[in-house]
Amino acid sequence: MSQLVPAIGFGLITASILAIAAVGFTLQFSVTNILNLAYGDVMTASAFAAYIANHAGVDIWLSLLMAALFGAVFSMLLNRFVYFQFVRRGTRLFGMIIVTIAMSLIIQNVLLAVFRPTFFSYEVSASASYTFAGMILTGSQLAIMGIAVVAMVSVHLLSTRTRLGKAMRATATNPGLARSCGVATDRVIDVAWLLSGALCGIAGVVLVLNTATFSEVTGANFLVPIIAAAVLGGIGQPYGAMLGAVTIGLASEVAASVINPSYKDVVAFAILIVVLLVRPQGILSEVASGKEVAA
Amino acid sequence: MAATPDPLLTVSDVRRDFGGVRAVDGATFTALRGRITGLIGPNGAGKSTLMGVVAGAIKPSAGRIEYDGADVTGLPPHRIARRGMVRTFQLSAEFARLTVLENLLVAAPAQRGESLWGAELGRLYWGAGEDVLVGQARAVLDRFSMAPKEDELAGNLSGGQKRLLEIMRALMARPKMLLLDEPFAGVNPTLAREIERYLMDLRDEGLSMVMVEHELSVVERVCDPVVVMAQGRVIAEGAMADVRTRQEVLDAYLIG
Amino acid sequence: MSDAMQFYLSTLLIYLFIDVMGVLGLNLQFGVAGIINFAYIVFVAVGAYTAAVVSLGPDFPGNFQHYLFGASWPFPLPILAAGAASGVLSLVVGLISLRRLRSDYQAMVMLVLSLIATLTATNATGLVNGPAGLANVPQPLFDQLGLPPLEYQWVYAIWAGLLTALTFLFVRGITNSPLGRTLRAMRDNDRAAAALGKNITALRLLIFVVGGVIAGISGAVFVEFIQAWSPGSWLYPETFVFLAAIIVGGSANNWGAVVGALLVPVGFLEATRFLPQDFNLFGRHVVLFSGLVDALQWVAVGLLILVFLWFRPQGLFPERPGRFTPRAAIASAGKGE
Repeated sequence: MSQLVPAIGFGLITASILAIAAVGFTLQFSVTNILNLAYGDVMTASAFAAYIANHAGVDIWLSLLMAALFGAVFSMLLNRFVYFQFVRRGTRLFGMIIVTIAMSLIIQNVLLAVFRPTFFSYEVSASASYTFAGMILTGSQLAIMGIAVVAMVSVHLLSTRTRLGKAMRATATNPGLARSCGVATDRVIDVAWLLSGALCGIAGVVLVLNTATFSEVTGANFLVPIIAAAVLGGIGQPYGAMLGAVTIGLASEVAASVINPSYKDVVAFAILIVVLLVRPQGILSEVASGKEVAA
Repeated sequence: MAATPDPLLTVSDVRRDFGGVRAVDGATFTALRGRITGLIGPNGAGKSTLMGVVAGAIKPSAGRIEYDGADVTGLPPHRIARRGMVRTFQLSAEFARLTVLENLLVAAPAQRGESLWGAELGRLYWGAGEDVLVGQARAVLDRFSMAPKEDELAGNLSGGQKRLLEIMRALMARPKMLLLDEPFAGVNPTLAREIERYLMDLRDEGLSMVMVEHELSVVERVCDPVVVMAQGRVIAEGAMADVRTRQEVLDAYLIG
Repeated sequence: MSDAMQFYLSTLLIYLFIDVMGVLGLNLQFGVAGIINFAYIVFVAVGAYTAAVVSLGPDFPGNFQHYLFGASWPFPLPILAAGAASGVLSLVVGLISLRRLRSDYQAMVMLVLSLIATLTATNATGLVNGPAGLANVPQPLFDQLGLPPLEYQWVYAIWAGLLTALTFLFVRGITNSPLGRTLRAMRDNDRAAAALGKNITALRLLIFVVGGVIAGISGAVFVEFIQAWSPGSWLYPETFVFLAAIIVGGSANNWGAVVGALLVPVGFLEATRFLPQDFNLFGRHVVLFSGLVDALQWVAVGLLILVFLWFRPQGLFPERPGRFTPRAAIASAGKGE
């Protein structure tokens, strides 16, 4: 029991990071039907952007915003100048997965070639620790959870309360119909990639804030739980991704404290497999199953 | 033609839900041997979903489907096809990177060279059967005036030729019943007339069909009887001439 | 020819044979049957580990490495065991992932499986000696043949070539048959294939297992040659080297797979492995940090995939539809149009 409480604390932090990352990942799929496996590497690239700012004397929280901006612009350009070009040329779903993997290899190894194979960390001023119900959390960790909550609420408000959100959901459901209803789908797609890229950039920095050090593979290594969370909730479902993030985050940290920390991702994977055996379309999946029928 | 109605396919009270939406809501109809049964109704009536359920591609939420004296409810699509009920699709479903001839050959059931060891035994084992199939496929191609296209990639055919290819391919699967989902969609009028004539010839040779179609003039010429669906239910069944004057059918088309 | 050169050439030749086998298996799955197996390298790895542990002697407490199943099995049992182990694993993975999942989910699950397999092999030190991996794997019939190393290596090259030729014939037996045609039809439109009476689940499973067995055997031939195997040898990007070979060589074309293996894993990766780490450039002495060449290689692999998908998605040797139909069909080819 005494072991379980801190594990839940860690689980909530992991869930927070995962939620930010998985919602961005799933958003890209829902609006453009692209499973962007370079997502983890864009996270890493954003973490390096924050690193450069941070070591030039910028405060880490301001660096985080700059990383969000970097992730946003980088993702938008990635989609517009690489992915979208292949889609327009007729590359289909699996071809696109291979394209994103090629981009993943390129981004990751360019980072390696530029920054060299060592570990990096941010300059963060030491902050006090706080104790809640037996969980000891640092100021940064509390901030991570806060950022996650703000990000999730923003995504929710954006997609339900604004015209842009409605346009995005319309584009996700049926791009052809959305276009004929006067939605500027190209612009919506750009905005969706900016938004998901910002989430990706934030996720990259908070991931590093939590693990303290990072290298060129940090983001890619985090891709397993991201995919697990997104698939668990039903790919393309933002709320599903949030739910998946909480499930995977809590379950893997608790299991890690009980079994062995190195099996965290294995546990995440096992959960994924079991859930998919019971519900092959993920937890929240009405839209997904409708897509299958229409396909 | 048989004096007593001889049902080949009986669909009883079939339902299918997608989430909260009930796409097919208790559909019941029969399709007779040696006839082309038309399945008509306004957009969103659930015709294509019902076809999918009958062909085994979509599992029914409830109901029963009897075909050729046996219960086939919930069987997977390949088992239903092997019993002789073969469907075509609303959108073209050609094997794009196979030639036209290959598209036809694939469809032939129970080929010797289709198992792993059969394939490895080589042409000595499956070559003779293959030659017979090629002969059959060429005969079909000739009949539909597609012989010159046999080495064309199926993906390069025109929309109308793809529809024709699908019908030819279905014939190679030795069907007793064809389920045709809008076989004239996207076909130019000349070719559509030809396809119409082919289908009537096939019927006269004893092949049964269920056909989803929007163009009522075609239905009138080809189908007898017709089944009218609206909002997931069958609302009328009978000869086209009778059905089209009924008030509920007119309402469905006006409202739908 | 000098001995060093002969060693180099025979090594390259053996690598080529092994890569050809691997690419043929993946091409059967991906190019012919349309199955996305991002975990292909895991099946190579399982074959390699299986061959390694069954040919190593029993583990003992003071051993420098720890593993399960040490059995000192003689040639050719380790290779057969490798094929069987990968085949069984393929069956299990296939039964879980190929039966009910949508294809994009399948792809994701396979990728995740690949990452998880690496994690497990690295962390479970008692299974296959963790991150350090296995070493001193006995070479088949080395003592019995009693040949000097260089001659042994040529014999091994012939043996690997023989297995590769058999694999090629086996795969061609599938692709140039009604089975291969049905597989390509399933790849192009699985729902239509099912509607014509093809049991697509069974077909996918069959090809998943056949490809898995080929992967396992290629892994066994590899590990018995280099005598060592560790998680670092089969990280998930290795699958994409094979995929790149298929994309470059030509999807669903067996000769394309051979050429792809020659160009990408062998020509492109092995050849550059011998680039100097320091050299003079315009009078300046340049020292490359370790890992730079590797990093640039991966960048190049990524670019190669993109360039081919953009300019020549059908590869250097495109698929040749209809080529095993009888002569009369080919003779009438000119009649079209």
